[in-house]
Parts: sequence; structure tokens; C-alpha cells
Amino acid sequence: MDQTRNQPSAGKFWSWFIPVGRQVGGWAFALNRVTAIGLTFYLFLHLAVLSLLAKGPDGYNGFLALTENPIIKFGEWAVVAAVFLHGLNGIRIILTSFGVGVTRQKQLFYGFTVVAVLIILIFTIRMY
Amino acid sequence: MTENWKITLRVYRQKENQTSHFDDFQMDVNPDEYVLDAVERAWAFHDRTICFRHACHHSTCGACGMRVNGVEKLTCITLIRDVTRNGATLKVEPLRNFPVVSDLAVDMGVFYRKMEAVGARAVLPVTEAEIEDPPSKWDAEDSQYIRLSDCIECGLCMSACPIMATTPEYLGPAPLAAAQDQGLRRKPELLSVVDCEDGVWRCHSAFECTAVCPSFVEPARRIMNLRVQVVDMRLRKLFGKA
Amino acid sequence: MSQSTSSYISGPRPGETTWIWLIKIVTGPLLILVLMLHLIVNHYIGSTPTGLMTYTDIVRYYQNPIIPAIEILFLITVVTHSLIGLRGIILDMNPSRQVLSVVTWLFSLLGVFSVVYGIWLALTIASKGG
Repeated sequence: MDQTRNQPSAGKFWSWFIPVGRQVGGWAFALNRVTAIGLTFYLFLHLAVLSLLAKGPDGYNGFLALTENPIIKFGEWAVVAAVFLHGLNGIRIILTSFGVGVTRQKQLFYGFTVVAVLIILIFTIRMY
Repeated sequence: MTENWKITLRVYRQKENQTSHFDDFQMDVNPDEYVLDAVERAWAFHDRTICFRHACHHSTCGACGMRVNGVEKLTCITLIRDVTRNGATLKVEPLRNFPVVSDLAVDMGVFYRKMEAVGARAVLPVTEAEIEDPPSKWDAEDSQYIRLSDCIECGLCMSACPIMATTPEYLGPAPLAAAQDQGLRRKPELLSVVDCEDGVWRCHSAFECTAVCPSFVEPARRIMNLRVQVVDMRLRKLFGKA
Repeated sequence: MSQSTSSYISGPRPGETTWIWLIKIVTGPLLILVLMLHLIVNHYIGSTPTGLMTYTDIVRYYQNPIIPAIEILFLITVVTHSLIGLRGIILDMNPSRQVLSVVTWLFSLLGVFSVVYGIWLALTIASKGG
């Protein structure tokens, strides 16, 4: 029977990832989640890579040469972008969680995203 | 002169023991009529087996909630003009996150029981209601005046909530808003109901509920306030003041 | 009311209760502060052409005791925030109580291990400049 089709189910968990037909708040939620997962992945990768430091100058400086690779550079840029997007959206969540600005949460999101994009732009120019 | 539009009304159909599908009805409509009118006309003149709910036709009963072109709406107050164009399609589907009984009618049972479980109030004294522009101080006799609660239990918020989609155990925006409405200081027994994994902490601030609420309940704001109340109560308990 | 409500309203399960949420939300702004420090320092005192620090830069920078202290604080904050958040995402997948228990244990272990490893690393680097 098709009864379960419309009901909540664990599989629907993935629907957050595609906020089609959703409003700005749903998009903000999806953005925060995606950046969170990306940053977590980066965090543990970063910690692992830093173990090269314990191996002395050759190990680490050899790794530094890798960072010239454009894919790595793009990855670094993506991390910084994710940090600002996640962080500023997070501030919005903290504010609304304590009742500040709830009625203006959409504007808060737009505002913070613009700030994030500006910062990312400045960073991009300085980086390149 | 009334305008006439030709639209395709695409209705979600699902009867017991059958797989779901969409039926298209070519219809002439007045764009200043409501989506519910179109559904009723499809039922009356095209297919008498379409099943849907409607009652008051003026956004007080909450019966006619559906997804119109994917977005939750109360169809009795949604103008056709606002959701489609002449010659285009108008899709109506049942609310998400409820079992479908038949076509556009869903089973709201679990939802109503959740509202009961938090003791949702249908009427409350005006001194306790969140109204615009309250006096700086209520008189003692003002509490005799009662007001209908804003929430009409239409379930649009439950359908729009991305967390509600993941588990039926989550209380959901409307019950949490109803709990906030009562206040944890006034009803401390609600603390254990809302301060749990499937209660107030499951909300991830998507604000989809407030975006679709037709009745100014602002469930998201209430859930945020409820969190503050929960933290307040827990801190008080920690320091032995509750 | 004929049916008991407890069948679909969970009691205070070992889940994301008040304290866990509070920790996540306090580590958030703390992170922002420490992270800004970390980013600025790492990209303004580096001597490579792209501004990154070489091995020698890093060892020298770690001689000042406040640096390992801040970096360790940063590590604890970010690992806590990240793992609690990740656990929250998994909670949305509606795991069974056993699976959730396993996840909580795994994450706690991962968190403790990361912090211990980080402290060891920081102290090791600091000691190389002796």
C-alpha cells in the first residue's frame, strides 16, 4: 500500500539538502548544514596533515610545496568561504535562539550573507 | 466583467491499495476565485471521487490546508491569480508528513493528539495572549475577557518543517508553539515534554513554519522563546530555585 | 483520551538536551573569536610567497607560550562544536537507541583523541625550538 509515501521517514532526511519550494529559512538551514559537514571534513584532514610538523622540516616543507597546487588552493578558498558563511549564519541562529531579531530573520540572513560574500571577496583578492 | 482563465488543475490522487498518480482537469476559472473553489468545481463537475476537506471557507477552521504548486497554503484564501497564470497548471497535493487517507485528505490524528498532550488552549484570557499593542498594565478584571488562540491547527507548519519530514516522533512546530503559549513557569509539567530530543532541541531554525503559517502564530519565534524558557527552568533547577 | 501520549512523545532520552545544545551554542561565538585570531596570525606572519608559515616560522611562533595555549583552546572548542553538530545531524536520521549510543561513544572518543593528539603536537612543536 502506498500509505507510507507521505509520512515522515528517516529517508526524507535527505530532502533538507534540496530546499526546492522552500523559503529563505530553509535555504539557510541547508547552507549551514552543508558548510558544517564540509568544515568537519576539513578539520580532521587538517589535524592529520599537521602531524607532518612532528616529522621535522623536510616532511612539512615538502607538504607546503603541495599547497601551490591550484586544486589545493581552491580547497583553501572554499574552506574560508565556508567558515564565513557558516559562522555568520551561525550568529544569526544564536541571535534568533535568544529571541533577538526573530521577526527579521530573513533580513538577517540576507544581511549576513552579503557580509560573508564581501569578506570572501576581499579575501579572494588578497589571496590572489 | 469577470475574467476567465483556462487552467489545468493537477490533482494528486491516491486511493487505498493503489499507487498514487496525478489527474489533470482542464477548467475554466475566474482568477479571483480561490484554489479551493477550483478543487470543488473539479469534484462537482468532473470527478465525484475526489476526496478533500473543507468547512468554513474563511481561514478559521484550518481544514483546507494543501500544497499548492509545492507550497503549503490554506486553499480557501489562496487566490488562483496568485499561484498560476492563464493557460498554466495548478498543482494541488496533500500536506506532507501526514498519512494520506484519500487523495487530498490526510490523517491529522497524531497531530491532534500531540496538541492535546501539550494541553494546547483553544481560548485563553486576553491578558495572557500575545496581542499587538497590549496596555502597559492589565487590570485585574481584564482576565475575564477571552480570546481564541491564533493557532487553527491547520497543520501547514507540520508539513513545511524539514525536521518533521524525518520522524513522526518530533513534536512539531504547532505543538511546541502551543506549549510556549502556556508558559513553562505556569505549567512546569510541560518541561519534560518539550525538553527532550524530539522536543524543542530538534528545531534547526529553518523558519519554514512561520513562513507558511496563515494565522500569525509565528511558531518559529515561539520555539525560540520556548528554548529560552527551558534554559531558564533548567538553570533554576540547577541552582535550586525552581 | 483513550491512547497514552507517551507512545509518540519521547521522554528525556539521552539526546540533545539543554546542556549539549548550550555547549554547542556557546562554543559557536567562542570559535569565531579564536578562529579569527588563528586565521590572522597564520596568514600575516608566514614567510612563504603565499603567506603560509614554513616549519621554522611555526617553531619560532610556538616559542611564545600563549600561542600553544590559544591553539589548544581553539582545538577543544572546534572539536566540541563540530562533533556535537555532527551528532545533531545524525539524530535527524532517526537512529535507534543503540546506534545513537555507538555514535555518541565514537564521537566522544574521537573528540578526546583529537584533543590529546593536538596537545601532544603543540607541545612537541614548542619543544623543537629549544
